[in-house]
Amino acid sequence: MIRLLHQMIAGAADRDADAPAFRFLDETLSYGALAAKSDQVAAILSEHGVRKGDRVGLYLNKSLETAISLYGVMKAGGAYVPLDPGAPAERTRMVMKQCGMSAFITHAPKAQDASEVLERYDTEGLACIIGAQPGNLKSPVLGWDDLGTGLPAPENRILDQDLAYIIFTSGSTGEPKGIMHTHRSGLAYAEAAAATYDVRSNDRLSNHSPLHFDMSTFDYLCGPLAGACTVIVSEAHAKLPASLSKLIQDEQLTHWYSVPFALIQLLQHGALDQRDLSALRWVMFGGEPFPAKHLNALMKSLPQARFSNVYGPAEVNQCTYHHVTVSDLADDRPPPIGQVWDHAEGIILDENDQPVTADHTGELVIRSSTMMRGYWAREDLNASAYYKRPLGGGFPDYFYRTGDLVTDEGGGVLRFIGRKDRQVKVRGFRVELDEVEAALSLQDAVDEAAAVLLKGDDGAAAIVVAATLKDVYNADIETDILTAAARKLPRYAVPQQLIVIDAFPRTTSGKIDKRALARDLEECRLEKETADAR
Amino acid sequence: MRDKIRSIVIENLLNGKEVADDQDLLISGMVDSLGVMRLVRLLEAEFDIKIPAEDVVIEHFGSIDMLAAYMETRIST
Repeated sequence: MIRLLHQMIAGAADRDADAPAFRFLDETLSYGALAAKSDQVAAILSEHGVRKGDRVGLYLNKSLETAISLYGVMKAGGAYVPLDPGAPAERTRMVMKQCGMSAFITHAPKAQDASEVLERYDTEGLACIIGAQPGNLKSPVLGWDDLGTGLPAPENRILDQDLAYIIFTSGSTGEPKGIMHTHRSGLAYAEAAAATYDVRSNDRLSNHSPLHFDMSTFDYLCGPLAGACTVIVSEAHAKLPASLSKLIQDEQLTHWYSVPFALIQLLQHGALDQRDLSALRWVMFGGEPFPAKHLNALMKSLPQARFSNVYGPAEVNQCTYHHVTVSDLADDRPPPIGQVWDHAEGIILDENDQPVTADHTGELVIRSSTMMRGYWAREDLNASAYYKRPLGGGFPDYFYRTGDLVTDEGGGVLRFIGRKDRQVKVRGFRVELDEVEAALSLQDAVDEAAAVLLKGDDGAAAIVVAATLKDVYNADIETDILTAAARKLPRYAVPQQLIVIDAFPRTTSGKIDKRALARDLEECRLEKETADAR
Repeated sequence: MRDKIRSIVIENLLNGKEVADDQDLLISGMVDSLGVMRLVRLLEAEFDIKIPAEDVVIEHFGSIDMLAAYMETRIST
């Protein structure tokens, strides 16, 4: 019986060692090779002192090394921590410091950026570094070629409740927060997803989401559980829809999973009329609502495929799904997020933590074996993240508070209405507008800053900020402020535009009137677009 | 033409940051998917051609060198 995530690899390798586990560009990694190579990574990490529960950062572009590393780390007893390879160095160091990183894995394409990250990091705490340029670093540096062969993975007493991975996401205080998942929660998700989306050993899954985006757990965990092949989509393919559609065709992908934005790009620029995507039998999307107009068009162009709206914050992996039909889209609204799947229990609560009546809107709270263990080293968040349903004996049921407002449209089919707080989604990535504002208002030049999200109907979204200044205005100041903010924020959270204003619109209580501001900024943007077009 | 392409890329997509003609534009994260679409529109306007969706592929848009080679074939025919 499989209890731990990495046991899936040994299991698949025992069944068919030559079966492809992962593909990237022209390279194939079989289950046998993945088992052997991840053993090596585990052996090396262990030899250098990585122990159960230690955090190991993965600073990798899309590549086969992602799969080898994450399974290697888990075999060593550690928890893998994906680091956004596109994040500024300062933010990467912030995450590393926050979770007390024990080791660091990178590879040639990121070696130069890795040096920039590590040069100003106290590497003494790192037991070892794999794949970086040996520079002036205080810890042993090993190349991918030095890993050797034939070493067995270390013996470890790892339980299913032990940490497997931590995914960092935007936090409202300006510090990212780490969502901790165990072997149990990861495996429960892989099992539930494999059953829900009928993933089998002869299937071929896409991996479109980068590793630091929680949607990648379907590709990296559910694929190996089923013994399927996961095709890792290169950064270049992800940017060029016509290349991407060719890859889906040539790789004969059966399951696609991404944010709606990638699918809209595929629809609009993917030259789909010239591709044969008939192998595709299941298109899954999530992260944000899919505009009905585009989804309708995509469903028409891929008539053989089933379409599913997948919903669930990273804290619970997934919790609802909706298999979309044409009639769902008749009223031009995005499809519902659907029913709570069999592996979870959901309640809609009002402001007083009472279940709402009938079709009223409230916050969705979720209890599930796929749920996180908590946020890394954040007692404050862990105290407020859960709704505790009283139960006899003093052990309440813990429900994760999603912060998402939903309505039951009848028969348990849920519709997403909005957020309780100021979290927004940019191409599926979670961004706390408070964090964006903090990155601006902490700068000396800035007096006050307020951020809003402006959405286009093609799935694109732009964060725009307004700010009042402490300093005198000069022509470079917008660029200077945004450049400074870009050193702290992940790329998708960096505002597309900064508009310096003299004063904010205020509500009667003196707070910044964010609604009025959003209207003003939208007008500003439209004016700018018209001017650019001239 | 290569100079023109280079200046379009650098000015509009890279905020003035210099890049070598053979440097990869897509993997490094310098240009995102919306940037690619913007680049297509700018090239179409500048050279008064229509770039079909099936031509917007890695082999043509991977670097300034590749772009120049592709545009050569489009302008000379």
